[in-house]
Amino acid sequence: MTAAISVDNAFVRFGDTAALNGVSLEVPQGGCFGIVGESGSGKTTLMRAVLGLQKLEKGEIRIAGRVLGTDRGGLKQRASIIQPIFQDPAASLSPRCRIGMLMDEVGTVLGEAREETRGRLNGLLRRLGIDPGVVDKYPHEVSGGQARRVAIARALLMRPSIIVADEPTAGLDVSVQGDLLNLLQDLRQAENITLVVISHNLAVVRLIAEDAIVMRQGVVVEGGEAGALFSAPGEPYTQELLASWPHISVRQ
Amino acid sequence: MKALVGTLRRICSERDGRLGLLFSVVVVLFALVGPLVSPSPNAIDVKARFEPPSVTHLFGTDNIGRDLMARTSAGTRYALVLAVTIVLISSIVGSLIGISAGVLGGWYDRAVTAIFDIINAFPPLILAFALIALYGTGPVTFILLITVVFIPQFGRMARARAQALRSQSFIEAERLLAVHPVTIALRHFLPNVAGPVIVLASMNLPVVITFEASLSFLGFGVQPPKSSLGTLIKDGFVSINQSWWPTVSAAIVLAIATLGATLLGEALRRVIDPKTTGVR
Repeated sequence: MTAAISVDNAFVRFGDTAALNGVSLEVPQGGCFGIVGESGSGKTTLMRAVLGLQKLEKGEIRIAGRVLGTDRGGLKQRASIIQPIFQDPAASLSPRCRIGMLMDEVGTVLGEAREETRGRLNGLLRRLGIDPGVVDKYPHEVSGGQARRVAIARALLMRPSIIVADEPTAGLDVSVQGDLLNLLQDLRQAENITLVVISHNLAVVRLIAEDAIVMRQGVVVEGGEAGALFSAPGEPYTQELLASWPHISVRQ
Repeated sequence: MKALVGTLRRICSERDGRLGLLFSVVVVLFALVGPLVSPSPNAIDVKARFEPPSVTHLFGTDNIGRDLMARTSAGTRYALVLAVTIVLISSIVGSLIGISAGVLGGWYDRAVTAIFDIINAFPPLILAFALIALYGTGPVTFILLITVVFIPQFGRMARARAQALRSQSFIEAERLLAVHPVTIALRHFLPNVAGPVIVLASMNLPVVITFEASLSFLGFGVQPPKSSLGTLIKDGFVSINQSWWPTVSAAIVLAIATLGATLLGEALRRVIDPKTTGVR
């Protein structure tokens, strides 16, 4: 089985700092893959490179076994395979367009009739627990949590096989974080999507991911099965990360 | 429509905005109703040369007995039509060029920026003289000329805004959905560039009005017997010893027109683009 994403020896430099310093990894198809690291570890650059928003200085990225170009054809192929959920999903909705129009755009790209898109959208919105009336609103008229779900719905509308989520729980309170992670997990299973979660939050990755890597200063420090990785970290950096995580226990 | 009413209401909520709107409306009305209430601007009455303001001639008459109110009104109309046309064309063309340069980048962006720089390198009046010397006077030449001079202003602003927008998540999200680039430019860039462009356009109206008056004053604009605020001031100036009112009346209209448009533009900027407003 070809890997969903395979990154081979990727280099990206911003001035003197190497954001990616020879990163290689394989994200298996299906399942959830976690990328952990502190701020500045290169995890967001890695995500942008995978999405095609960041050119590589060296190295190669294959999405579903193919190297995708940045021409129109490549963009379309990439769009149908991989979709992002940005750190601030509210900012990923065009502010002067009604949400419905943003959704119809996806249909246009897919060459689908409007009714069909809207039909699928209603199904998605219902699953995400949003009132379908949201299509008549502007992005600034919905709450942050709703905007996040709308952005997820829009990404899913494209029927991607891979979703990359950058800090999906950033800025959410703890109870909503849990809901969202469950939701992503459900969607992943129902739609057979490969989910890549990027987070500095170890607890999130530990909870949701099956496999994970730890990044530091543009290099993959350690990787493997998530449970094993975090219960018995091999590298001192991972141990440090784990130790610095405040322990919260649930009162019974 | 609702946005328009809201904008007007907010403009009217402050003194400068009300004043600007009032002046602008008065000038537009003056330009429109002039021909209805006064004789033809070109009707000569040699028996009534240099008449002071009276009931029949509210602004008096000029050196060959033409009604100055009619001539001022015609001149104002001419100035307004030119100003609106020029600002409209240059803002639309400038925005589209600027957005495309900001979106596409690369050699196209460099070429556009270089052309803007070249146009901007010339002082507008000097450039206007050169182009008039080449292509002659006349409204169409004039419109084309000033439009060319103003396009870089709008182009630069639109380009800067587009560049700032390009790295925003919502534009990246559109690109990652493979939405067509033209759709992205028109639906997602343009509306977010429009605010400052509208403000710049309104602030440029008085500039164009004054520019037209200056060129006509110097004899490079409107040619006789047609009237313009610039030629009226100039002709009045020549015979200022016989009568001062031709110059003064035209100058007052010019002052009210530019003041009104400037105040309105400023008020519009405060409403549409509050972030750029300094502390008052």
